[in-house]
Amino acid sequence: MKMRTNRPAWRGKLAKAAILYAAILFFFGLWNSAAWPQAVSQDPAVERGLKQFQQSCGFCHGPDATGARGPDLVRSPLVAHDVKGDKIGEVIRLGRPDKGMPAMPVTDQQVLDIAAYLHARAAEALNSAEIPSKYPMEKLLTGDPEAGKAYFNGAGGCKICHAPTGDLAMIAAKYSPIDLEARILYPRGKNSIAVVTLPSGEQVKGPLAHADDFVIALRDDSGWYRSFLRDRVKVELQDPLAVHRELLDKLTQADVHNLFAYLEGLK
Amino acid sequence: MHSQLRGMMECRRSCENHLERNTDLSLHLRVVVVVFLLLALGLHVPLVTAQGLDSAALLKPAADTWPTYNGDYSGRRFSTLDQINAGNVGSLTLAWVFQPHASTIKSTPLEVNGILYFTAPDNVWAVDARFGREIWHYHRPSEGDHIGNRGLGMYKNWLYFTTPDAHLVCLDAKDGSVRWIVELADPKLGYFSTMAPLVIRDHVIVGVSGDVTDVRGFLESLDPETGMIQWRWYTEPDPGQPGSETWPRDTDAILHGGGMTWMTGTFDPELNLLYWGTGNPNPVLAGEGRVGDNLYTCSIVALNPDTGKLAWYFQPSPHDVHDWDAVETPVLFDAEFKGKQRKLLAQASRNGFFFLLDRTNGQHLVAAPFIDQTWASGVDSRGRPIAKPEATPSPDGALVEPGSDGASNWMAPSFDPQTGLFYVNARRIFSIFYLTATGKPEGWGGRDRNLWANSTLRALDYRTGKVVWNHEIGNGESIAGILTTAGHLLFSADNSGNLLVLDPVTGKALWHLNAGGRMAASPMTYELDGRQYVILAVQDILYAFSLPPPLPSH
Repeated sequence: MKMRTNRPAWRGKLAKAAILYAAILFFFGLWNSAAWPQAVSQDPAVERGLKQFQQSCGFCHGPDATGARGPDLVRSPLVAHDVKGDKIGEVIRLGRPDKGMPAMPVTDQQVLDIAAYLHARAAEALNSAEIPSKYPMEKLLTGDPEAGKAYFNGAGGCKICHAPTGDLAMIAAKYSPIDLEARILYPRGKNSIAVVTLPSGEQVKGPLAHADDFVIALRDDSGWYRSFLRDRVKVELQDPLAVHRELLDKLTQADVHNLFAYLEGLK
Repeated sequence: MHSQLRGMMECRRSCENHLERNTDLSLHLRVVVVVFLLLALGLHVPLVTAQGLDSAALLKPAADTWPTYNGDYSGRRFSTLDQINAGNVGSLTLAWVFQPHASTIKSTPLEVNGILYFTAPDNVWAVDARFGREIWHYHRPSEGDHIGNRGLGMYKNWLYFTTPDAHLVCLDAKDGSVRWIVELADPKLGYFSTMAPLVIRDHVIVGVSGDVTDVRGFLESLDPETGMIQWRWYTEPDPGQPGSETWPRDTDAILHGGGMTWMTGTFDPELNLLYWGTGNPNPVLAGEGRVGDNLYTCSIVALNPDTGKLAWYFQPSPHDVHDWDAVETPVLFDAEFKGKQRKLLAQASRNGFFFLLDRTNGQHLVAAPFIDQTWASGVDSRGRPIAKPEATPSPDGALVEPGSDGASNWMAPSFDPQTGLFYVNARRIFSIFYLTATGKPEGWGGRDRNLWANSTLRALDYRTGKVVWNHEIGNGESIAGILTTAGHLLFSADNSGNLLVLDPVTGKALWHLNAGGRMAASPMTYELDGRQYVILAVQDILYAFSLPPPLPSH
């Protein structure tokens, strides 16, 4: 369903995708497993199981086992309790005549493979809250780089601190696309500078080491850690990320994707 | 004697309130008779009988105990103890420390008859509430999600404990021996359980947790003696029943729709209604396979505790796609609203909105954001936030505040009847929500990546949801709960390892201590031998604080 990456109209595309999906189910014999590229692991048993499943089971249970005329097997209690085909095999061989499922002759190896495939599909669902670190760039590239550039130089105020030929030169080569998107919005890890004014009037300045209601601590010019009771000193914090936090409140989704499209081009 | 007197005062106060609310003459008479009887019987009903905890006494726990997860049925987390107070909190000192050497403590201990009972996943401890010494320890290794455990329920001599493999364990409070264990749900399907069971009369009310698997949430009542099921209420109605029209027809979505019941609810004995918050629908971020409001997920429901029948519902997040469970404590209090005394229910929900309802019928009174949010454009005529379409998770990422961890979460809020303010641990979290599902979504179908978070303690005016004061507690996501007391104190913690006592009127810090770690639980308090203790759990250590003991007399 890569068509969903075309963001401005992705909702409309979804409906089309659903129709396409139904068609795929109907003509499952013509269905090409390459349409589910991430569905299967490198395990050869899983690969074999996928093919076997599509031949023997896909028509009713869907080519990806998420159900069609028959139930979704990714969320099946029987699959959840199965160990190396001990329960799945029995159902395939005996069928479920009461529910219209015919018995199918399969070898022990085929049962093992189908079970391996179904467990791999269930594991995929279990891991579905993980965003791959190699998130595909084409999914993220939905914005307009020219609009991103205009925002960078105009309303966003980015150019006040950043330059595409300066600190941002080659920025897209330094980070994966998904990390770049996050860093554009909030480049965490930039330390605040604390300026502490002692009762004597003396000022101590340096990278912030700790701040809470009661204590402020920093590294001074000589590299030493120094802490102060907050009620005895005046504290000024220079936070380079404050501007980014303000921006988070203002950015529209289009701004985010336009900026990404612009900065992703800097490499 | 001190506590006996207070017991009498308490009783009088509550009865007076009662009188104010009821004009029925016969009720007046009944109350007067009850007051008379209580006075004659030695001023207050003993909470602990020779047989253990009397479940009838849970209706009005004595001020010196903490017999349920929230201390009482109301979920206010307000204690009438005032020995530690704004005048002397500066001398608060460590009474004892208990180090169980286990995982992070997220539970609130019970305190009954001088013994503290608390938990971590797979573990229960009974600890001497005077000295912090272990009395017994129960350990039951299990499969399943060990994300946390919130504590216990108690009935007579028996404790009730839920497990990572979704079982309910009944233990003898005397020695921690097992009386029985029953399975609540199939752990192979991804069910687990973390909540502290709630005992109401002869019902043990238990909820379940789930996360990545698409399973059906439910709430269950069990017989405290046998563990037999009394009733089960499913978060998703059966197909064809009221509420099922909020799910797509002719798909399996409704029967795999999530809505876990993973936090302890509250109870109004007068109305005989049990209030419970339900979790997010599944698949979590991918909503296209479950078009509709998805009742009764992300809802506050009122159930009859004897039958499990639904009386009313209110849905803070219709068709949620951000993992914003509405399980935060539905706090019960009676107070004035627009000139009328009302029976109220308040929730500061994970989606960033504060809701005030009439708890007799679920009528919405207030719906207002208690912190900045970017996902809702307003509130509809039924008091429900209106989601902006562009805040829906998408393959190229949708920037949303709050993130999936929520503007608040399971850590306890508090309502202080002395200030009339509602207190909440409120977080600002910016996240990008990615929809990764291809084909039919199963499980999460995506995830958000956190950009930046910071945490605050906030006091809200319950009549408007407006912020009365804000106390910053640092960057990151706090999961510290809140306790208020009649000593004009608010107990909580910041993100820098400090335990905090704040003035509940102004939010100003009155006391603090660097305890060397984050509080991941909610504070509680009790009185023993005339001395008030406050229990503050920091990571995996239990700290008991009190005023310095009197000097020994010779």
